[in-house]
Amino acid sequence: MTSRRPVALEFDHVTFGYGRTPVLREACLRVAQGRFVAVVGANGSGKTTLLKLGLGLLRPAAGTVRLFGQPVQTFRDWPSVGYVPQRAAAASALPISVEEVVRSGLAGRLGLLGRPSAEDRDRVEHVTDLLGVATLRRSPITRLSGGQQQRVLLARALVTRPRLLVLDEPTTGVDAGARSVLRESLEHLVAVEGVAVTYISHDPEGFSGLADQVLEVCAGRVIPARDDHEHPHLGPAEPSAPARTPADGTQQLTEGQG
Amino acid sequence: MDPLSLEFMRKALVAATVVCAVAPLVGTFVVQRQQSLTGDGLGHVAFAGVGLAFLVGASPLFGALAMTLLAAAALHRMQRGGLAGDLSLALVFYGGIALGYLFASRSGGGVNAVLGFLFGSPLDLQWAEVAAVVALSLLVLAVVVVLYRPLVAVAFDEAAARVAGVPADGLVLTLTLIVALVVVGGMSALGLLLISAMMVVPVAAAAQVATSYRGTMVLASGIGAGSAVTGLLLAYHADATPGASIVLVAIACYLAAATVRATVSRRADSARWSRTVSQ
Repeated sequence: MTSRRPVALEFDHVTFGYGRTPVLREACLRVAQGRFVAVVGANGSGKTTLLKLGLGLLRPAAGTVRLFGQPVQTFRDWPSVGYVPQRAAAASALPISVEEVVRSGLAGRLGLLGRPSAEDRDRVEHVTDLLGVATLRRSPITRLSGGQQQRVLLARALVTRPRLLVLDEPTTGVDAGARSVLRESLEHLVAVEGVAVTYISHDPEGFSGLADQVLEVCAGRVIPARDDHEHPHLGPAEPSAPARTPADGTQQLTEGQG
Repeated sequence: MDPLSLEFMRKALVAATVVCAVAPLVGTFVVQRQQSLTGDGLGHVAFAGVGLAFLVGASPLFGALAMTLLAAAALHRMQRGGLAGDLSLALVFYGGIALGYLFASRSGGGVNAVLGFLFGSPLDLQWAEVAAVVALSLLVLAVVVVLYRPLVAVAFDEAAARVAGVPADGLVLTLTLIVALVVVGGMSALGLLLISAMMVVPVAAAAQVATSYRGTMVLASGIGAGSAVTGLLLAYHADATPGASIVLVAIACYLAAATVRATVSRRADSARWSRTVSQ
């Protein structure tokens, strides 16, 4: 069975290693538009490598990564991809205001010489309002709480109206209240705006009840997450991925279609 | 005597003020990327360029410019090739000082003249040299103004900027090249060992009290220019070395800003504590 929704992110038998150390082997996954796919795994399992490959920050040794159907190496529509890094990215050496951080998300779309339009400025206001950090616009990001910093990084990712949102450990060091705001924001983005979400975390609490599918990076493979013994917060297992076990023994294709 | 009535002071003031106002603009990106020693490393390479220029009888400015731009490109390549930032800087740093000393010792009577560039001699500048310093500084200013937004994006979070489609590699190379231009522009006014201080110290001072990136940049530039004027005038009246005086004034600004910040923060803490107790 194949999803009719367009596929935002696709790994097609991707293999990658650092030097001679293999990290991912024949990894396959699909994240369809309007779907929420969580990826879990132990520290060092290759989650972050998966994320970097998906964002074109690393090149696979074999296989293909596609964004909206296009190989990531030739993909140019980067404003349609939003990336929310770990909160440590907000540890700025110099004061940088919330507004400046959010505006920096426009830099790719504007190009080297472009200037933000009135519409861009409105969008900055809108996303800061949406994420409840509008009153902090002039505050340096380093003076905010962990949850507020995370929301600012999310606002930066949303400022270009992305169709795919990739989050890396977004709840690390974030209090319960901020987690709740983050969950509500993600729920709205997926359900109302049809954004595809790839959520990478070792903490299932952040996506429990939101994810259409939970995958696990284990021994270099991307597989449907194991049962509640491994992830007690996941709740009932998601519907099984459309199974396709290739005859050559490579990994099954796993599709985030809920 | 009014120092401004002396032509050598006017030349020194123009060159030092312009380069010290521009150096912190570049410094904000370097400090944010935690590469504060890049200017220092390239300063040592410029020393090799000056030594080579003396050896072959060329202009020290062109020798330093050619060598630092080459080294900036090599440094960028080494860092992108996976060599750790501090290791690549150390290689450039030590290579530059060794080559500089080798060239200087081979240039016969030029050793002292080459060594003079390490600490600068703004009072000996000719108007043509002042014009070259101003031209280099204006070029750097133009690059910073035009590329301000993408440079901020790369300096704050390079990975996110790449994902957003910002050409990060080209911008990081551009940044290293404009650091090289500042080093060469400042070598006669402040010296190769001290110009990198003006890329870092005013930024550190401004960061104590500013609340935004743009604010830090503007304030740091003002502190740089103010330090140049004050330092030169102090040096004139106290018969001290100009480059060292300028840098020491900038460090005094940092100490003052850090004291202001600590005081404000202590008062805010005690007000918060009082409010908590009264509730």
